[in-house]
Amino acid sequence: MRLALRLALRDLRRGGRGLVLLALCLFLGTAALAGIGSLSASMLAALEANGRTLLGGDLELRLSQRRVTPEETDAMRRLGRVSETVTMRSMATAASGEPVLVAVKAVDGAWPLLGRYAQESGAVARRPGPGQAAVARALADRLSLRVGDRLRVGASELRVSGIVAEEPDQLGEGFSLGPRVLVATDTLDRAGLIQPGSLYEARYRLLLRTPAEARATGDRWRRRFADAGWSATTAGNAAGGLRRGIGQLGQFLLLVGLAALAVSGVGVGSGVAGYLAGKTRSIAVLKVLGARSGLVAGIFLAQLALVALVGAGAGLALGAAVPWIVSAVAGDALPVQPRLALYPAPLLLAAALAGIAGLMFALPALARARAVPAAALLRDALAPGRRSLRVAGAVAALAAALAGLAVATATDQALAAGFVGATAVLLGALWLLGVGVRAGVARLPRSRRPLVRLAVANLHRPGAQTDRLVVALGLGFSLFAGLAAVNTSLASAMESTAPAKAPRFFAVDLQPEDAAAFGRAIRAASPGARIESTPSLRGSVVALNGRRIETMRLPPGAWVARGDRTITWSATVPPRNQVVAGRWWPADYRGAPLVSIEDHAAAVLGLKVGDRITVSVLGVDVEARIAALRRIDWSGLGLNFAIVFSPGLIQEAPHALLAGVYSGPRADGAVARAVAAAVPGVTLIRVGDVIGRLGEVLGQVAFAVRVAAGATVAAGIAVLVGAVAASGRARRADAVVLRLLGATRAQLLGAQAIEYALLAALLCVIAAAVGTAAAWYAVVQLFELPFRPDWLAVAGTLAAAAAATVAVGVVGNLPVLRVRPAAALRSE
Amino acid sequence: MIDARNLRLLLGTGDAAVEVLRGVSLSVAAGETVALLGPSGSGKSSLMAVLSGLERATSGEIHVAGLDLGALDEDALAVARRGRIGVVLQAFHLLPTMTALENVAVPLELAGARDPWGRAEAELAAVGLSHRLTHYPAQLSGGEQQRVAVARALAPEPALLFADEPTGNLDATTGAAVADLLFARAGQAGATLFLITHDEALARRCTRVVRLADGQVASDTRS
Repeated sequence: MRLALRLALRDLRRGGRGLVLLALCLFLGTAALAGIGSLSASMLAALEANGRTLLGGDLELRLSQRRVTPEETDAMRRLGRVSETVTMRSMATAASGEPVLVAVKAVDGAWPLLGRYAQESGAVARRPGPGQAAVARALADRLSLRVGDRLRVGASELRVSGIVAEEPDQLGEGFSLGPRVLVATDTLDRAGLIQPGSLYEARYRLLLRTPAEARATGDRWRRRFADAGWSATTAGNAAGGLRRGIGQLGQFLLLVGLAALAVSGVGVGSGVAGYLAGKTRSIAVLKVLGARSGLVAGIFLAQLALVALVGAGAGLALGAAVPWIVSAVAGDALPVQPRLALYPAPLLLAAALAGIAGLMFALPALARARAVPAAALLRDALAPGRRSLRVAGAVAALAAALAGLAVATATDQALAAGFVGATAVLLGALWLLGVGVRAGVARLPRSRRPLVRLAVANLHRPGAQTDRLVVALGLGFSLFAGLAAVNTSLASAMESTAPAKAPRFFAVDLQPEDAAAFGRAIRAASPGARIESTPSLRGSVVALNGRRIETMRLPPGAWVARGDRTITWSATVPPRNQVVAGRWWPADYRGAPLVSIEDHAAAVLGLKVGDRITVSVLGVDVEARIAALRRIDWSGLGLNFAIVFSPGLIQEAPHALLAGVYSGPRADGAVARAVAAAVPGVTLIRVGDVIGRLGEVLGQVAFAVRVAAGATVAAGIAVLVGAVAASGRARRADAVVLRLLGATRAQLLGAQAIEYALLAALLCVIAAAVGTAAAWYAVVQLFELPFRPDWLAVAGTLAAAAAATVAVGVVGNLPVLRVRPAAALRSE
Repeated sequence: MIDARNLRLLLGTGDAAVEVLRGVSLSVAAGETVALLGPSGSGKSSLMAVLSGLERATSGEIHVAGLDLGALDEDALAVARRGRIGVVLQAFHLLPTMTALENVAVPLELAGARDPWGRAEAELAAVGLSHRLTHYPAQLSGGEQQRVAVARALAPEPALLFADEPTGNLDATTGAAVADLLFARAGQAGATLFLITHDEALARRCTRVVRLADGQVASDTRS
């Protein structure tokens, strides 16, 4: 082995340039995997490390639509230090501007128990006092507010005391639609922002005397005050939604990175095959001099391993640096600042995956090199064409190891298995297509024009890499075409379908006694506007058929039974709803509580008509029999409820109204102003803003996916560059002969442009078919939305990809054009 | 040294199959210098390939330096060549990524010889190239490359040296110098020399001349 290594190093010193493609492809594949893994690990680590600060304490106890009772306060104080915050939505209006939806947070004197609250310079108070509010920079900019200005929040007049610079527990509180307005709890109480039925959450953060027992303390608390609507969160699962989001996105991107690795693998295969083909004579010489096949394999395996180490090592280094790079370039756009450190686990995983993939794709070429006979020196004797079963078996075992490792290390193994399977099928299909294309092109009628004939011949001549290019570039192109189709379909679903049927506004916290004034204000601002209002209150499912939820293992998709939901009651079947099982109660029904459940939710929970469901409403358990299951048309974004009660007992609970406002599209400003003036306690949420915010989130996800898919395309381009380099010798020979026969450089350039345009056109057709099929599946089967891609955008994406292919191909071949026939012939 | 009986070699398959050697029998004693002559396509190079173990005969028996080459696989043939058989080819076939010294040292290293570098250096000095040790093949003239090839073939002190038109790619003066070297070094080493050539004058320097025509031995004369 030492001899193999010695000879390998000696040969690499001058002959290693041919392995640049191997190093480049492994670099790209490893960097993609290591970068994605390191970034998500660093963000999760940041959440982990700051769990207590994000949560605001060791334990958070949370209530919906009520605040703590004196008895509960006493019990809490015995556990440790307590801080109360109350969050709700409201409308804020400055002297000049339009009403803006804001996220109000009232804090007590003890807040924050952990971390630091900071304001921008110029604040008049360290924190907002009575009648004061600190506002987010975004709100100050939007309403042109300065410290000292007056701000109307709901029905109360406040003075801006500062601009919020740092709010330590904001991330832990999850997604909010509007910018922050921070007030003191005293202000909240005095200003009357909370009305009966108002939607708000009260959080109690505790610094426990025994922090290690946070979870047990939370469990004890919920048992002690069972049925009081408490939920408990510990630092270990703070910002759970964000954590799950980052984990899932990271996982998905890792799978896209795996596709990049697969394409890189094709490049590794090409690079190694090209390199070893160039070594055939040297291998034969070594055999003439007495080298065994094992030594030959050892020499080249050592070379490949050394070059792979350099490529993958550089990829790992770049991948490990990704948290630093992303933090420096796009730090503000991230939901959480990465915790900058070296994360060995994702690096090891990337190294292992890249190592296995590299070996798998290099093995067939290595086996061919091993079998080169000494007689290859005398004539261009080819290695035996017989494919070795041992090599096929080894490749299959490595493929299984690769898939197994990818799936075993995934958090969502079913998704990973599906993705790996789909990628394997796609790669296989692309390979078959590539082989078919090559064979098909060979059977095309010969053109009468020699340059066209040459261009077509270059696609199928011996040694042509058309099949590999179809796999390598086809996957990247398909990903981009698919993404364009998915993106534009989703955008079309949001922009065209929803607004046509959707309300312009949702109004929350509308008191029943204000309903008439609310309606008058709307109709005055937008004559002909329609208002669909329905009672709303918060409740959580606590038992199914008498069995408590906390004792059950809920299946995925059982969102109805998790946490607080908005519930309603109705005498008649709500609009856009259709009873699919059971019977709706009579309009005048006032008997024992009945309930109707959305059919999907019922199916997930295994509920049927006649079953019993218990809902805790403001701490009171209400048990109801399921009378009907409904199918809901969610597409219009109207007011829809998974749980609808029969009128009766539940009407006794304090409640507010929730309204959908169907006003004219140009009356948004007038409606908002009229409502703010007539019923200031009502919060209006513009549907367009919600869609815009969702669009932003989707846009960020799509961007992340595009970056990961970009690695796939980069690997594909590397394969193309490698293919161009590999065919350089044959092309130079062609060019010399054609120049001898009188062809001009322009004609040679034209022939190359035709060749790569043909290849690009083939790739576009394949990518359009594969990409749109995958996009159709995602949009129609996964998102259950109509498939309406913007074909122009898809075509534009493919055209850009095609232009890149032609450009790389032609530019890569420019050196061929510069060859002077005489010089080339002399060197032959 | 060489004992070949009724060697046949079929190359290609099906309609493209060509019988290159058609029952060649030949015995060469140790220390002989043999010239193999014949027109292009008569099977000279193929016979040398079979005798040196680069190619396996389709049928027939062949013993070289006491080894039954027909019974050996590709790897065993490679091992069999080490230290026994040296080969010099018309197109030099040096390893392009290695220096002259490294090229000569490789067969010694493969054979696990002691002091491969010292012996390689001495061998290169013997062919007059001690000033070219660290040059790569691309930096050497054709004559120099062929002298390196001769040094490489002789360094392991083989009992049998095959040379396939060793001067074919060289001008007359350089060719003559390489031929002198070949005969001199083979003589000093006591190696049996098996020379393929078109050059009658070169052939006359051998103790025996074998003529091949159409894959068969046409004549076999000793001087």
